[in-house]
Amino acid sequence: MADLFGITGKIARVDLTTETVTVIEPAEEIYRKYLGGSAMGAYFLFKEGIFDPKLDPLGPDNLLQFMIGPVTGAAPNARITLVTKSPYNIFCASTCGGHFGSELKYAGWDGIQVVGKASKPVYLAVMDDTIEIRDASHVWGKGVEEAELILKSEVLAELESREGMIRDADLNPEWAALRPPKRLGMHAKRLAHVMAIGPGGENQVWYSCVVTEGARAAGRWGAGAVMGSKNLKAVVVRGTKGHKLADKKTFLALVSGIQKSERGDYFWRSYGTAGIGANSAYVEDAFPIRNWQWCSWADPHVKAITGPFMDQTSFVRKVSCYGCNLHCLYPVEVTSSDPLMDGTMSDMPDWEAMGMVGGNLGYMEMDGVDPDKPFTGSVKDQAEHLAKLQYTTFIHDDNSLDFIEGGANIALLMELVQRGFIDSGDLDGIDLQWGDVHAVDELVKKICARDGIGDKLAQGTYETARYFAELKGKPEIMNYSMTAHHYGQPAHDVRSPADKNAMEYVTVNRACAHTGGGTAGFKTGDWAAAIAGQNVSAAQNSLVHCQFPAGHWAGSRIDLIKAATGWSDFSDEDLQLVGAREYALSRLFEIHIRQLKDPKAEWDRQVPPRWFNDPLPTGSQKGAVAYEGKPDVLFNEALPAYWKERGWTEDKGVPTLDTLKKLGIDDVAGTVASEHL
Amino acid sequence: MAEIKRRDEAPKPEKEPKKTETSASGVSRREFLVGSGAGVAGLVIGGVIGNQVIGKPAAPAVEAPAAEAPAEGEVSLYKAGYNLVFDSVQCTGCMICAEACSEKYATFLHPEETANVVSLEFARIRPMRFQYVDVINVCSYCNLYEWAEGSSEFPCEAVCPEDAIITVPEGEGEEGYYGMGYKWVDREKCLGIDKCWRCAEICEDQFASGMSFDPIDRKAQVCSRCGGDPECVKACPEPGALTWVPAARNGRYFANHPSDYAELLYRKIYNHVREL
Repeated sequence: MADLFGITGKIARVDLTTETVTVIEPAEEIYRKYLGGSAMGAYFLFKEGIFDPKLDPLGPDNLLQFMIGPVTGAAPNARITLVTKSPYNIFCASTCGGHFGSELKYAGWDGIQVVGKASKPVYLAVMDDTIEIRDASHVWGKGVEEAELILKSEVLAELESREGMIRDADLNPEWAALRPPKRLGMHAKRLAHVMAIGPGGENQVWYSCVVTEGARAAGRWGAGAVMGSKNLKAVVVRGTKGHKLADKKTFLALVSGIQKSERGDYFWRSYGTAGIGANSAYVEDAFPIRNWQWCSWADPHVKAITGPFMDQTSFVRKVSCYGCNLHCLYPVEVTSSDPLMDGTMSDMPDWEAMGMVGGNLGYMEMDGVDPDKPFTGSVKDQAEHLAKLQYTTFIHDDNSLDFIEGGANIALLMELVQRGFIDSGDLDGIDLQWGDVHAVDELVKKICARDGIGDKLAQGTYETARYFAELKGKPEIMNYSMTAHHYGQPAHDVRSPADKNAMEYVTVNRACAHTGGGTAGFKTGDWAAAIAGQNVSAAQNSLVHCQFPAGHWAGSRIDLIKAATGWSDFSDEDLQLVGAREYALSRLFEIHIRQLKDPKAEWDRQVPPRWFNDPLPTGSQKGAVAYEGKPDVLFNEALPAYWKERGWTEDKGVPTLDTLKKLGIDDVAGTVASEHL
Repeated sequence: MAEIKRRDEAPKPEKEPKKTETSASGVSRREFLVGSGAGVAGLVIGGVIGNQVIGKPAAPAVEAPAAEAPAEGEVSLYKAGYNLVFDSVQCTGCMICAEACSEKYATFLHPEETANVVSLEFARIRPMRFQYVDVINVCSYCNLYEWAEGSSEFPCEAVCPEDAIITVPEGEGEEGYYGMGYKWVDREKCLGIDKCWRCAEICEDQFASGMSFDPIDRKAQVCSRCGGDPECVKACPEPGALTWVPAARNGRYFANHPSDYAELLYRKIYNHVREL
């Protein structure tokens, strides 16, 4: 085989049932088509037959993939994408920062695929070419923070370990008399990186995530539950082989250019996504407050969710992913008069957390005061509100739960209590009122343990609503489920024209993702631009690099791919094709695994009723509803036009055989597509 | 009143500057080295990164007084007093220092093998992440004390059976890589990790974890401070995170095991007691 650059050409396939590890070596052609990350993951979902509708996402046959791309490794802002069939029976391609992605490339792999189910808890120890399946019973049940640190030292200790060689005689007599050598050998370095699940993942809570470095998560669509279903606690990687590049000099010059550009980006370098709080937040009238009943406070002086206030109150450090100069994660130590929260180590909260487990749970108002009333509290009250937010972030992270879906789930319950549909009797005696962090704490523990009512709630927001709608015989309960395509809406609303467009959540290939891109195109009805935005975003998840510094990458992205791989004719058009392939594959995947006969009615129209029924009650965009209140225009004009632009059928949104052929994926997806055309 | 001597001041010339052979740029290698550290006006165009003065020889338009050159074999107290200092609150764990270091030494020692490879394994400085804290792991330049430990050598130097760890006297060695009284590993003499790891073991046994081994010929590597102009300090993007400053001479008071240091940082930053 010719020398490969950028990529290693090797993907490890671990079968936990048979306890075997094999190596897949995809042709370079496949890498050019899919790059890696999410697009490559989607390709394997087809190649390995994971689209089979009968395949249980939490059964042993599901395929969990940790995928990286050609620039992951020496390039900055490295991420890793987890691709699998989600427990929600949807497409899962969830990305995560930290150092794990780079370390995996340094170990000589383009990805790890896990199938089967271990008979007892295990973890994977990846040390360059060696991959071992090891017993993890001693960390099963532990939170991600503790488990990560234990496994890291375990693997490292073994790698580093050498017996004691120093003897007293090697030292000067005076020295030996003072401090004789302990003869422990070498043992001190801790260089591995770990992705792990906590109790939420172990108990297969549908919305559990996979966490690295304590607070970075492949958060959405439930990859943690798939990991838990395989009895896989963690993956530990230590790589020493480096990243092979076609043109190292050019590559490093481009990297240095990106890093220098990032250094001037004081939006991220000041507060990370908490800076959005200071800039737009509820000023755009698109912030989740009490399960989206409000999207802004009457009083713009609610400042606990702003970057500057968080920094003044609690930021103690800033933390980067590999090679990044934006350091968007700010760890905190929670300070509160409430002993439950005081002293907890947490992070930020970031934008999604401050929305979904902050405003959405009613944390930011004074007791008994509605969001449309003036804020009467002091700065100290705001600090306490922030503490509640940070503590709730922590309990989700440490138990490996997605706080976006988790926040949507709990907020739904709180609204059902508020409206009298359910009461504490339905929640195992927990009196769930807006803003009550103790009740939330108890409930999250029940969900993690799948204890009592927690077992029902562990299946996410949509199933929670359905459960209570059936139990109470009140179908109107479904109106309060803030889910699009059965998955919780993240902290950007579509009713306010200042934030996201409804089409974005309707068309994005990963249910209700807020990072799908194409916003500007959707707002102006320029479908080609919207599609280009979505394709770039999908390509970023395939490369895999972070979206936050996308502006710094924009001019160098293609050159960086060329310098890494040596594909001298790789162009912007090729990058667009990668995204188009991922979109076509994931669309077919979802239509097929759910066996949708009428995808528009059964899938695309499954959006929160609140979008069209409840105009924004306060704020700068008061009175606004989604898509100017015209769902028929959205679903009967805009959506078919978008599908047409993609080369999909206008009635069902199925990629045509012609389109698949143009994309060069008719061989993997043609049969499935013809079933649904 | 007692005279207060500042360590970060240039030594005052007490006699006429010694005439030395001048290089092409008009400044001798020794003058350049001394000047760069001392920041003598007129001799140096100062670029300042952090607290580090980067010397560039200026055209000697006016005759500038050169700092006193130390006697042969004598280590300049002034330069030797410099040390790498890192602030774990400012450090973000981005690994840019390690990449810069690794790149420099990979290219220097193994230009052919690493022509197409970026690897962190050649780095003498290596941040380690313990979730919420980052520890920068690098040789601290610990010294033994003659009155207590019977020697004033570096501990790794003291236990090396082959005398492979050497201190390059100031002014000697290849420009940009060593000199200035800093540590260097004689790769001809070093036995390599497969036969001997005494240097690394004594470091981890009593001080920190400053030694590592390169993946190609498996010889010991230790921070040489790039001969007084550390690449990592120049690469670091965070103001104040990694600096090259006149600090305590004996690095042993900076040195800790990575995991011990992480525990200390958890105490300091988060008021948490953790076992790592």
